[in-house]
Amino acid sequence: MIVAWLGGLLRRRTGRLLATVAGIAVSVCLVASLGAFLTASKSQMTHRAQQAVAVDWQVEVQPGASAHAVLSQVRADSGTKTALPVGYARTTAFSSSSGGASQRTGAGMLLGLPNGYQKAFPGEIRRLTGSPTGVLLAQQTAANLHAAPGDTVQVRLPGTGRAVSVHIDGVVELPQADSLFQKVGAPPQAQPAAPPDNVLLMPSRQFAALVKKAAAADPSAVTTQIHVNRDAPLPADPSGAYQSVTHAAHNLEARASGGALVGDNLGAALGAAREDALYAQILFLFLGLPGAVLAAVLTAAVTGAGAERRRGEQALLRLRGLRPRQVLGLAALEAGTVGLAGGLLGIGAAAVLGQTAFGTAAFGATGLSAALWFGAAVVVGLAVAASAVLVPALRELRSSTVADARRSASTHRSPWWMRYCLDFALIAISLLVFWASSGDQYALVLAPEGVPRISVSYWAFFGPALLWGGAALLLWRLATLALTHGRRVLGRLNRPLTGNLSGMAAALLTRRRRPLARSVVVLALALAFAASTATFNATYAQQAEADAQLTNGADVAVTEPPGAHVGPKPASRLHVQGVRHVEPLQHRFAYVGSDLQDLYGVRPHSITSATSLQDSYFAGGTAQQLMDKLAKHPDSLLLSAETVRDFQLKPGDTVKLRIQDGRTHRLRTVPFHYAGVVKEFPTAPSDSFFVANASYVAKVTGSDAVGTFLVDTGGTHQKAVADRLRHTVGTNAQVTDITQTRSKVGTSLTSVDLSGLTRIELVFAILLAAGAGGLVLALGLAERRRTFAIATVLGAKRRQLRGLVLGEAALVTAGGLIGGGVIGWVLSQMLVKVLSGVFDPPPAALAVPWPYLALAVLTSVAAVAGAALNGARRSRRPAVEELRDL
Amino acid sequence: MSATDVLLECRDASRTFGGGPTAVVAVQGVNCRIRAGERMAITGASGSGKSTLLHLIAGLEEPTGGTVLRSGPFSAQDVGMIFQGPSLIPALTVAENVALPLVVGGASEETAHAAALAALRLTAIADLAEHLPEEISGGQGQRAAVARVLALAPRLILADEPTGRLDGVTGQRVLDTLLSAADATGAALVVTTHDPAIAARMTTRLAMHGGRLVDVQEEKS
Repeated sequence: MIVAWLGGLLRRRTGRLLATVAGIAVSVCLVASLGAFLTASKSQMTHRAQQAVAVDWQVEVQPGASAHAVLSQVRADSGTKTALPVGYARTTAFSSSSGGASQRTGAGMLLGLPNGYQKAFPGEIRRLTGSPTGVLLAQQTAANLHAAPGDTVQVRLPGTGRAVSVHIDGVVELPQADSLFQKVGAPPQAQPAAPPDNVLLMPSRQFAALVKKAAAADPSAVTTQIHVNRDAPLPADPSGAYQSVTHAAHNLEARASGGALVGDNLGAALGAAREDALYAQILFLFLGLPGAVLAAVLTAAVTGAGAERRRGEQALLRLRGLRPRQVLGLAALEAGTVGLAGGLLGIGAAAVLGQTAFGTAAFGATGLSAALWFGAAVVVGLAVAASAVLVPALRELRSSTVADARRSASTHRSPWWMRYCLDFALIAISLLVFWASSGDQYALVLAPEGVPRISVSYWAFFGPALLWGGAALLLWRLATLALTHGRRVLGRLNRPLTGNLSGMAAALLTRRRRPLARSVVVLALALAFAASTATFNATYAQQAEADAQLTNGADVAVTEPPGAHVGPKPASRLHVQGVRHVEPLQHRFAYVGSDLQDLYGVRPHSITSATSLQDSYFAGGTAQQLMDKLAKHPDSLLLSAETVRDFQLKPGDTVKLRIQDGRTHRLRTVPFHYAGVVKEFPTAPSDSFFVANASYVAKVTGSDAVGTFLVDTGGTHQKAVADRLRHTVGTNAQVTDITQTRSKVGTSLTSVDLSGLTRIELVFAILLAAGAGGLVLALGLAERRRTFAIATVLGAKRRQLRGLVLGEAALVTAGGLIGGGVIGWVLSQMLVKVLSGVFDPPPAALAVPWPYLALAVLTSVAAVAGAALNGARRSRRPAVEELRDL
Repeated sequence: MSATDVLLECRDASRTFGGGPTAVVAVQGVNCRIRAGERMAITGASGSGKSTLLHLIAGLEEPTGGTVLRSGPFSAQDVGMIFQGPSLIPALTVAENVALPLVVGGASEETAHAAALAALRLTAIADLAEHLPEEISGGQGQRAAVARVLALAPRLILADEPTGRLDGVTGQRVLDTLLSAADATGAALVVTTHDPAIAARMTTRLAMHGGRLVDVQEEKS
């Protein structure tokens, strides 16, 4: 009987079975694809964290221990790839003389580098000008001393009476100065707030000779670190990799018996990456699960559209003597068949998608991970099939007596959730959770530095999750209310389509309010999913772009070397092909009190022609308002919130900065007036800095030297324009483009390429919207072929039947679009607010991807229209043929 | 009865389903006439072709051989059809179901509703007017179908085994209603049945076997 039943299903219910299998496949494929994204992202994050670290470990030799012994021990470690000793010595001052003026800095650091250091650790030192080897001066020190290659600098060491002169061979940048000058072994809160301003690097031999006397006078003034790069294989998951690296570091410290402390830069980078990995996991939950659940709901709606027929078949089986258990067994057989088929189809499609989007068809970095994802996807398929096929069959069997049917037919009571106002309750709880989880003090992911355990506040997930449920039920309630009490309005609206049948059409719609409300809700949810996902992704992309632009400054940036005096005039020679605008941006250093900060001089009226300034970068006014203020009052100054707090400043207060005078090369005090707070600014560091009017800075310092030229290319061909500019400026300036920067931007989540996930989600969202609109309507119409056949026998014309079908389609479309638009908008707002930790910088406004939304709406409308027209076409078939079929 | 009283005539009417060796000949070479006000029963075992012949007469199917001639203009509103099974639209009330063919034919909803209530009173189920089909019994459903025909006042009523799914008493009541409706409207009535008792209440009885007309009995009035 099982074979006969299965054969009959396959022959007679092919379309419905295929639709169910497709629905399950979409659910499974979405879950599996997102799983593939998750594992691929985690692996990518681990790889990026490894790449981002210039020196994996800085092993500091402790006083009394032999540097040679520690070096041997480190080199003997199985995970060590390279280990080189680096000398560190404190200096009391550097000084130089040029142009008749003398410059002297405060305390600094002297580093002794062994041969081959730059080759072994290429990310630690970046040559800016002059020779890459020999005695090298750090960029800011060069600016402070106004020194350049070829100049002489005096070094003063503690415990030595006189200064030692060294000849400068080159100027370098130390991109990872924070970790290079870390206090090894100190907790994060005890680390120096900023790296030393004054740094000189020299070959080991020269260093040893220079510091010999100082070391003898004060052994603590000179230390040795072993800089290590490791090649031990790491787990793909950042959390696992973090644990592996920190355990190895602890192991080395234990074996050194107090002779060495490990500064674990790689562990710190992986520690940050595991936070990002958790955010990726959260994105999977927030963005992916609703889609998978929606696909399951759609599948249930597909099978639900055939409930009447299933009821009849079950009744017939019972009449023919089958026991309830046997009837249930047949339903289980159907569920198992479609669940397995849908699961396998879904996982196959996910493998293809994974290969296309992420470059891997495997679901995870290991075989076990792949097997788990495979198993989970099949279980999802079977669960969806069971809930869509088996549960309704069971429910039917439990209430399949005639008395029950009569009772259910005669009752017009609202569903229980409507009577108990579950929709309002869900929305209220959702808003409460949202309010609690979107406050400034709320952290979605907690990953304390140095602590292996990290935690995610999954509680925040309940805000959007409950809103999904509550909004769906509320829409159901509203659709039901409108259909129940709006018969007259429906009749009037239907008149253009159904003529004098409009009243009957309205009656039909009113009586079919439950399936119609369900169709409206499913379509609305699909559109809301498309809208919220697309808006979130567009906002994410917008902010990732803003992050890259903040770092690079503009599409292309031409940065002048320190010490070079280039005024704004050469901007005209940068107008190569593809350049729309060149904006000069001054970069100086200024002291506020004893604190040295970057100072940026801008042209307030034209800065936005080359770069974007979002309102969220500022406080105390919008970007436009504050730029206007800088233009109107040239001595206005924008400061960081921290500086404002430290100096207890109020708007209008005078702030005195000490800036180097371009004529005397001495620091001079310049008065500014506090005008507002700046949090982010193109090319500026993430900590404290100033923004001022470039004309005013040039006037008071006697120098209009430009730090960086920001080049706008209109957002296209940045790479090509950068190449042309490199050709133009030669080696005199550094040219960077935003495409380079995008791939380098920090370890934040914006470094994760969401494009694959975005593509998958957006394609699924459109498929779901089309399925929700078209499939559900088509199956609903197919179930009512008998109604159309009877109407035809009674003399209804094709035009009238077409009107009935189109009226229903228009109702579903209008309800779905309005409901989906509202739910999608609210969800987008909530998602962006709850997931604010994902964005860097936080968005000032949502980015709405109108073309995509238009495509989603058009696809849904086309699917509904296609289903309706097909339904209308089928209703033209000879009535008796339909009646004979049924 | 004069030739002008003939509403419809089948001349060598045939209907074959499918083609080739699996073709099924449902009706073959049937010749018959239906006159105004006539009471006709088409009898025969299941599969003898009587339902298909009724569909040919109703114009729901086209003959694959021969012709079905109708006298004068014959619209959908001139034929009232009653099926063996439930033929009410589930989402409409009984009154709306009865009014539907009139609205489809162009009547206003108010006029159609009044006519429907009158027809329901004649069939003695006016109290069920606002009920949905799922809330009434099979017999009441068939009487509603009769009321729908009655409201339409057609020239020809065709009933395909109208009592086939009803018990004896209910079946008789439905048949009485049907005959009354035909009398009230002056319409010709053609009923397919394999119940001799129902056939006996008709003036003309056609017997079918294997798609062919094998016997014709006419009572002289």
